[in-house]
Amino acid sequence: MNVLSVKGLTKRYPNFLLQDIYFDLPQGKIMGLIGKNGVGKSTTLKSILNLVNPDSGTIEMFGKDFIKNEEICKQDIGVVLGGIDFYNHKKLRDITAVTKRFYKNWDDKAYHKYIKAFSISPHKKVKELSSGMKVKYMLALALSHKAKLLILDEPTSGLDPVSRDDILELFRQLVKSKEVSILFSTHITSDLEKCADYITYIKDGKLLRSAEKSSFIKSFQHLKEPGDKSELSLEEIMVRTERSRYDV
Amino acid sequence: MMFNLLYKELRLAAHPNLFIFTLLGALVIVPAYPYGMVFLFGCLGPYITFMYGRETNDIYYTSLLPVKKSDTVKAKCLLIVLAQMTQLLISLPFAVLRLSILPNGNPAGIEANIAYYGFGFIICAIFNLILLTQFFKTAYKVGKAFILAIIPAAIGVIIMEVIVHIPRFQWLDSIEPAIMLKQLPILVIGIVFYIFSMLVAYRVSANRFQQVDL
Repeated sequence: MNVLSVKGLTKRYPNFLLQDIYFDLPQGKIMGLIGKNGVGKSTTLKSILNLVNPDSGTIEMFGKDFIKNEEICKQDIGVVLGGIDFYNHKKLRDITAVTKRFYKNWDDKAYHKYIKAFSISPHKKVKELSSGMKVKYMLALALSHKAKLLILDEPTSGLDPVSRDDILELFRQLVKSKEVSILFSTHITSDLEKCADYITYIKDGKLLRSAEKSSFIKSFQHLKEPGDKSELSLEEIMVRTERSRYDV
Repeated sequence: MMFNLLYKELRLAAHPNLFIFTLLGALVIVPAYPYGMVFLFGCLGPYITFMYGRETNDIYYTSLLPVKKSDTVKAKCLLIVLAQMTQLLISLPFAVLRLSILPNGNPAGIEANIAYYGFGFIICAIFNLILLTQFFKTAYKVGKAFILAIIPAAIGVIIMEVIVHIPRFQWLDSIEPAIMLKQLPILVIGIVFYIFSMLVAYRVSANRFQQVDL
């Protein structure tokens, strides 16, 4: 079963066009959304969440039309928008106290378990957290209301290699139960090598390919150059696909 | 849900200034003071909170909660109404108190009488209607929305304060019970206009916010 199906997603901006994006995320899997900066990864995620109004396309979440069932679907998702911090000067316990009121499945016990496991102090202010801790706090909130789908926009950007590995390892653990599925955008290809099951690649606002990781990698082997002995890595695939030729 | 939205506004979104300006309803006990300023403080509070909301990404936070996009607008409307009505309630005992301790009236402008509260409802309604509908066109241009809203609100305050110095309209400045009864229609019109404006402000703002790309 797919927890998320995106079909024909199109969004027009005066200077940018996100065109006909489609992909399916099966339950219990991790999908990485990759592409260069500014190709439409965030717009795709924001369109899925109705933060941005798409010009066309449908979003099916948990088998329901997302727009028609926005409140119900949002009960079961957790979102982390990279680079957007909420209420920097507020303490985490204040944000938690408000957030928990909106979720039917909120579990206080689980919340305390997660903040303890992630070593988060609820008395700290948001601004006192490192980037990695902010992502973990948002994940703790999402998991405490038993989110079945996590949507994260660049959760690993700006993190040091240790924190990045920590978050990615956490992702892998979360999907083990098959109850949580994850869609996250990144431009760091090693994130995908470490933890993605599926890869969706967006180039210049268009979907280049969305597939299971090994078949995704296989499908790009035509980019091999004379002298390449081993299979191309995701980084080589991305760099060779995006490479510009300057005539200067 | 409405209670949860208001709780969120008060605990996370509201700037401390909103609470202070709400308390300034007590200014009607100042002996000689243009009491129209109380309403302008009632307008400034929401403006500062909107600015603060932009700084704290409050709109993003609310939009990601399991609520409809229009509920983000509803939360802000509820907060403004709550702040302005609380300010009015705070001012009431002081308006009654001044009858006994300041019986000579207010030489600076209008008395804190029934007409004053009627005008207050109209001034706040005009401000709210413009601020909300302009702000939710973009959900970030709060300065422009405030300028467009505060100019007519300030003109309203000036008219209220000046009109009582014109002999024909001096009955508006009275605190005599019989004359205040004559002022009652202004209060009724003010309340009806305030309710009507808030409903229009919510509907128009919610429709506009629906089109906004965050």
